[in-house]
Amino acid sequence: MLEREQYTPGPANIARIQKDRGPNGEEKWTLVLVRELRHSPEKVWEAITDPAHLREWAPFVADGSLGTVGAMVKLTTVAAPKPTVSEARVTRADAPNLLEYNWGDFDMRWQLEAFAGGTRLTLWTNIGHRFIAMGAAGWQICFDVLDHLLSGTPIGRIVGPDALKFGWQRLHAEYAKQFGIEMPKWPPQAAEKS
Amino acid sequence: MKIKLTSVYVDSQDKALRFYTEVLGFTKKADFSNGPYRWLTVASPDEPDGTELQLALNNNPAANAYQQAIFQQNQPAVMFFTDDIKGDYERIKARGAAFTMPPTDVTGSTIAMLNDTCGNLIQLTQLARW
Repeated sequence: MLEREQYTPGPANIARIQKDRGPNGEEKWTLVLVRELRHSPEKVWEAITDPAHLREWAPFVADGSLGTVGAMVKLTTVAAPKPTVSEARVTRADAPNLLEYNWGDFDMRWQLEAFAGGTRLTLWTNIGHRFIAMGAAGWQICFDVLDHLLSGTPIGRIVGPDALKFGWQRLHAEYAKQFGIEMPKWPPQAAEKS
Repeated sequence: MKIKLTSVYVDSQDKALRFYTEVLGFTKKADFSNGPYRWLTVASPDEPDGTELQLALNNNPAANAYQQAIFQQNQPAVMFFTDDIKGDYERIKARGAAFTMPPTDVTGSTIAMLNDTCGNLIQLTQLARW
């Protein structure tokens, strides 16, 4: 587990916000993350659809494969303060390139493109404004863990409170600054007592 | 406007009063009755004039169905905040309460869950400091 202890995320440089207009003219933000992996799209596809792989790196546990269109899969959020299970419906599964399903209210769209002998992974997710920097920081760490897993040197899932031990706060602050959003004042005591 | 009261349904007010005072350590605040109706609340000794918790008799079939359903889903009916969850866990456990979850680190907090013996799960929460 030395690899895990030595892990520290790099600079906040894999995420951006895509701004669109909704049907009533309201601004809709989508978090877009791009990560290059030194592994084939087939290998990455397995890691983003297979429950045994997902539990090694993803912020949720799946009770079935996400790799089939029409599949209904229960996703349990790891380390949520209340038991949080949401039913995902897979709406697109073009192996090994395009995967779409919902995680609760979030639409998740995964694209895998063959790139320089590896894969360029792009994730679009419509996480809300208030949590977009948090989500960017969390996914960046998850993708590092995914890269270790695919390379055969797994360091174990880093989500929820574990992420705080691995520099999540710094990433969160960097993304909040890049996105031009205020750092949420939560939890309330932190500002005064820490 | 202020939030001064929240309620939890219980299957017996006498049993609930014992559990919420003798086991959890709250103090009785209001206890009035009008015929078969009993208005019963407790408060925290740390905050005697703070938010009161009403221990409401669950004689309502709709509330009963709701209470049982969320209990089965492991969802707490009420949540209390503490600055010392490990200490409270040991103290409450020593008084005989059954915890369904020991203090556990989750996103943003440490939580524990116990059975109030009156039909509810109660969550204790200590917020994490970043």
